[in-house]
Amino acid sequence: MSATAAALPVPAVLPAPRIRGVGLCSGWGRGAAAIPSDARAAAAGRPLVGLGPADPAALGFSAERMRRATRECLWALASVQAMLEDVGAGRQAIAGDGTALVFVSAAVYGASNRAFIERSGGGTHFAYTAPAVIPAEVAIEFRLTGPSALFIGGPPATLHGIWHAASLLADGVCERALVVAVETFAECGELYERGRRLAGAPLVEAAACAWLEPGPGTLSLALGAARGPRRSAIAARLGETFACEPLAAIACWRAEGAREPLVLEGRWRREAARLAWLAAPAEGALPGGPAWRGAAEGELCGGPAWRGAAEGELRGNEVG
Amino acid sequence: MRQADRIAIAAAGVVTPIGQDLDAFWSGLLTGVDGISTIEAFPVADLRVGRGGEIKKLTRVKDWAGVPPCRATRLLVSAAEDLATQAGLRPLPFAAERVAVVVGTALGGVAEGERALGGDRRRRRLADALYDGPAHNLARWLGARGPAMTVSTACASGATAIGVAADLLRRGLADAVIAGGYDPLCRFVMRGFDALRSLTRERVRPFDRRRSGLLLGEAGALVLLRRDADAGPRRLGTLLGHATVGDGAHISAPHPDGCGLERAIRLALGQAGLPPEAIDFVSAHGTGTALNDRIETAVLKRVLGARAHAVPVNSIKSTLGHTMGAAATLEAVMCLLAGRHGQIPPTRYLEEPDPDCDLDYVPGAPRAARPAVSLSTSLGFGGQNAALVLESAP
Repeated sequence: MSATAAALPVPAVLPAPRIRGVGLCSGWGRGAAAIPSDARAAAAGRPLVGLGPADPAALGFSAERMRRATRECLWALASVQAMLEDVGAGRQAIAGDGTALVFVSAAVYGASNRAFIERSGGGTHFAYTAPAVIPAEVAIEFRLTGPSALFIGGPPATLHGIWHAASLLADGVCERALVVAVETFAECGELYERGRRLAGAPLVEAAACAWLEPGPGTLSLALGAARGPRRSAIAARLGETFACEPLAAIACWRAEGAREPLVLEGRWRREAARLAWLAAPAEGALPGGPAWRGAAEGELCGGPAWRGAAEGELRGNEVG
Repeated sequence: MRQADRIAIAAAGVVTPIGQDLDAFWSGLLTGVDGISTIEAFPVADLRVGRGGEIKKLTRVKDWAGVPPCRATRLLVSAAEDLATQAGLRPLPFAAERVAVVVGTALGGVAEGERALGGDRRRRRLADALYDGPAHNLARWLGARGPAMTVSTACASGATAIGVAADLLRRGLADAVIAGGYDPLCRFVMRGFDALRSLTRERVRPFDRRRSGLLLGEAGALVLLRRDADAGPRRLGTLLGHATVGDGAHISAPHPDGCGLERAIRLALGQAGLPPEAIDFVSAHGTGTALNDRIETAVLKRVLGARAHAVPVNSIKSTLGHTMGAAATLEAVMCLLAGRHGQIPPTRYLEEPDPDCDLDYVPGAPRAARPAVSLSTSLGFGGQNAALVLESAP
């Protein structure tokens, strides 16, 4: 076994996916327009801003089929429906095995797990404790039968999820990919207060979905260690939404005209990740800062100022 | 679809109910050690079934200093200790920033959540209750400072993790990845499967006409993955292809036609650049439930065609129990060891074949055969279907 790592000929890059649409539902309301300019002020002392109960009929889903579905499942469905409305497409546009489904969450399983632990639940209730059942409900409702993946973690996991989707697109395994993230907190609210110190921004429940398809340019992923607290622009506006943060940032970026190059940052526990859409083709040279060279270059957040409206990070050490 | 670069599986480490290192695991599979026993770690008297593949005491690691008292983490660290011994990973022979951890789990740290909700107010309990906690604990124990990722495609997680890890290497995001799966037995999961009435009071009998359900087990299983060119000739084998596919049919049952599993197998073969005729051996998911075994058999017949009855297929879940997040990794390792040692472990307790399950399931005793290319299949809640195409080292 080699004692030294082989030098990489190029940084981690892929053909970039085009973001065709984004759906966002948050405790503040629907879409980027509902996000306040200052989450802390808007929360007015509330530690948690919830999505509230989900009414299948109001969301356009069959109440009979959804009679056992959990709140988090329903909000996942709602985010996909919101994305379709953003794109102006019907369900048939995503149905079938050409659509990959990537699901990401740090903590959405908490509600169902707690309910099953504290109350005597039956087999159906137990099935809903599996994180994989949330994307399954999305797949059943929208008839998605393509590749799938499910990442657990905060914003870096979502950036990996987008990267994974781009990788599936680049390999020709699918024609489009949906990246869905959901975080609900209300059922475990006091546990979050017990387990972590709120860092100024309230916890905000959210569900988001992005439709990706092959596009021009290059996607670059850089990984490294998160060091020191740093307030994120999107978290300051939105509040803490864990895995939903990067997708919410994309929604804001699009709502603000998508004028700047899209650069997403995320932090969780001790990790940081940065995902950047570049205009250059995949084989070309990349900007020369050390942060672009991958994890071996170390800490990401001490680099140059990163452009784009969609920067986001989490004060992750306070979660772990 | 593009053929994927080959990824070397340099070494493996395991902790299982039949042995707490790779040699004991392999020898237990061949000699018929039964990993199933009455569960002792938590109360089971109120459950219909109180047996499973429980590891009574983790003996591999002598010094737990600095390792959280979280069962999931300790299973991972035990498997990692075995892997580290075989592959010389302590200290890491790679730049720590270029070493990633990718693990799959169905349950994460839910046992810690049970304890926290049961009145244990230590803050550590809540941190470890997050499903990605054990992966970060493992990375810390290894000294790995690359990404520490958790995937959760239910009981297919151990296969998905290997696929995601391979992609990190192919795309240059890491130079070495410790990948695999884990899940502990805990009251939460025993209660759940008890409520689903999936657990059998008898033996687990995959593909047998008397099969009446599964039993759960606990395990940790890890492999060291490297790019083919970086690994050198000393290896367990090579990952040729992987796919995980959702079938969009039901929250807890597989698609009745097995179309998701079939798509996963065909995608994995496509990534490997191999036709179905190349498959020498199949490690089936083989849970011993009525539906799974019948569907899997039908899918294998469609994929393997005229050769279906000539390709040996086994299930090791009757020996270990269904080890959930660890199962697919353990089964992948078993495939590679079969090629190395020229023996295919049997499907234990298969005695009266189901007429609907009429393939060669290696009943009774180990089979002398040296499969070069193996297919490992896994299914999980949420319509998750995963396939790995593996090549044993010559």
